[in-house]
Amino acid sequence: MKLALSRRTLLIGGGVAVVAGVAAVEGPRLFRKRYAPSPYDDLLDKLDDRDACAQIGERALAGKAHFDADKVADTLRDRLHHRRLNRVMVEDAEQKRVAENAGWVMPETLSLLCALAAKAG
Amino acid sequence: MSAFIDARAVPSGQAVETDLAIVGGGPVGISLALLLAGAHFRVMLLESGALEFDEKTQDLYKGTLAGDAYLPLEASRLRYLGGSSNHWGGWSRPLDEADFEKREWLPHSGWPFSRKTLMPYFARAQALCETGSYLYDGVKRQLTEPEIALGEGGIDTRWFQFSKTKNDVLPTHFGERYANDLKRIGNLRVYVNANVTRLRLARDGNRLKTIKVATLNGKRFTVKSKFVVLATGGIEVPRLMLASNDVKRCGVGNENDLVGRFFADHPCPRDVGTLVIFDGRMPGYYLGTVPVRGTVMRASFTPREDYRLKHPVMGSQTTVEYRDELDAIGKAAVAATASALGVASSHAAVFALGCGLEPAPDPDRRLTLDHARDALGMPRLKLSMRINDADFAHYRKSLAELGRQLLAARVGMLRLNLKERGQWLEGLDWGNHHMGSTRMHVDPKQGVVDATGKVHSVDNLYIAGSSVFPTYGASNPTINLIALTVRLAEHLKGLFK
Repeated sequence: MKLALSRRTLLIGGGVAVVAGVAAVEGPRLFRKRYAPSPYDDLLDKLDDRDACAQIGERALAGKAHFDADKVADTLRDRLHHRRLNRVMVEDAEQKRVAENAGWVMPETLSLLCALAAKAG
Repeated sequence: MSAFIDARAVPSGQAVETDLAIVGGGPVGISLALLLAGAHFRVMLLESGALEFDEKTQDLYKGTLAGDAYLPLEASRLRYLGGSSNHWGGWSRPLDEADFEKREWLPHSGWPFSRKTLMPYFARAQALCETGSYLYDGVKRQLTEPEIALGEGGIDTRWFQFSKTKNDVLPTHFGERYANDLKRIGNLRVYVNANVTRLRLARDGNRLKTIKVATLNGKRFTVKSKFVVLATGGIEVPRLMLASNDVKRCGVGNENDLVGRFFADHPCPRDVGTLVIFDGRMPGYYLGTVPVRGTVMRASFTPREDYRLKHPVMGSQTTVEYRDELDAIGKAAVAATASALGVASSHAAVFALGCGLEPAPDPDRRLTLDHARDALGMPRLKLSMRINDADFAHYRKSLAELGRQLLAARVGMLRLNLKERGQWLEGLDWGNHHMGSTRMHVDPKQGVVDATGKVHSVDNLYIAGSSVFPTYGASNPTINLIALTVRLAEHLKGLFK
């Protein structure tokens, strides 16, 4: 029996499959909200919901007279180096590293990331 | 069955004799009378009210308030047979071991005995309060729906049981429930409408000679009893002792200026926190009562014993009150935290938290006699109420610990809603638990009564009820004061052997 697919159909189908694959892998990154570059993007990229974090961070910064963003970023880089964010969050809570933002009890690392997100704008 | 005696019909000037007089027909007085049924000595129960609420009798409770806002003194208790059990909520839980311990960080802490001493009396107390079989935290092993998981730390889920009458009406109103049982007791006489207005000490001041009784229709008579037990509650007991100042100017049992001091109640600040459970699953037993093996139970978040002994926190309980909603910043906090923890929050449920706060003992939270007098000529009371900032701070620490443990378990998070003193005091409610005003201590300089409940300086006078609690715990006092009463009943029986 002769195959019903023409060479043209095969090419088009293949092209669609490639585009769909790339979209699935890269889509979230490609369609993610763009922010102005900041010195802390390597850290802020770890946040799924940077806008929400920035909202919290604004509250956190309002209560701090001095906030050395670069120093905080260095601390966080050490803490998060080759480590998953969710693991560090749980570790924070277990080791009693928690902070209060607008009354919400949060892992300290997240609280600091939120402050950096607010700084970065 | 013998009827109650209406004191208004007793001729003025009469002297009535008995072996043991119980002053006050609330849950303690009624329980004690029931527990002494069949003893080979005569018992008399003197109740100020009758079987129903009466405005003129209730008026005898009026007093004045100073300091922090508190309930009017006539509003937080009831003066008729059954006493304040007539508005009891039925919450029951034995005090924790830590409540009895001396804590170095907590001045005036430490009972004269441990929880172990009181434990044998809870089975009978459970029966009197109709709280079902003794389950409490033992129910954990029988749950089909697991408790909210918490990370390791200071807070745990603890369980209350509820008083329940035979007809499933919550909770037990001791007067209504036990009136007929009291009438059947052969060695008991119950006087209603009988107000004890004075404790008359013998000239040497070491023994109670007579007690004076007055009625609102103008009758006055005396009762002569070998032993007397005051069971009129944490406000009225000190009033009677302070007002009985004809032999000793300081009053009865007040040689060390302790009667009326250390008064306490459980403040209940509202909406203390907002709890978010990420997957939305909140077992119903946190939000309200549920039936378990014939008992009625409810869960709360409570500091663990070991945590309380090491950290400056009291026993204050946190309860889940009702479903709530998040504001914009709350939504942002939950979204940010859940995603950082790697858990979904699309089905998150939000709840308002309530609190039963245990205050630290404070000698300046105090009941004193006022100049005004009631219809029977007794001085009214003045309460100087005080809630210290440290009391709120201790509880806030517990709540923050709960928040930390929720994060560690990745199940939820919480917001501490109250910070400034004004916020805590706004809409503050009270447990109506009157405690501490005649505290128990082995040293007469630190307590009004000894470990048995006997007034240190008076050989034949005892006090029963939560006024003897040196520290208060956060468990509701009723089941505990009934357990103490069961213990006292055994002691009193021993006195007549």
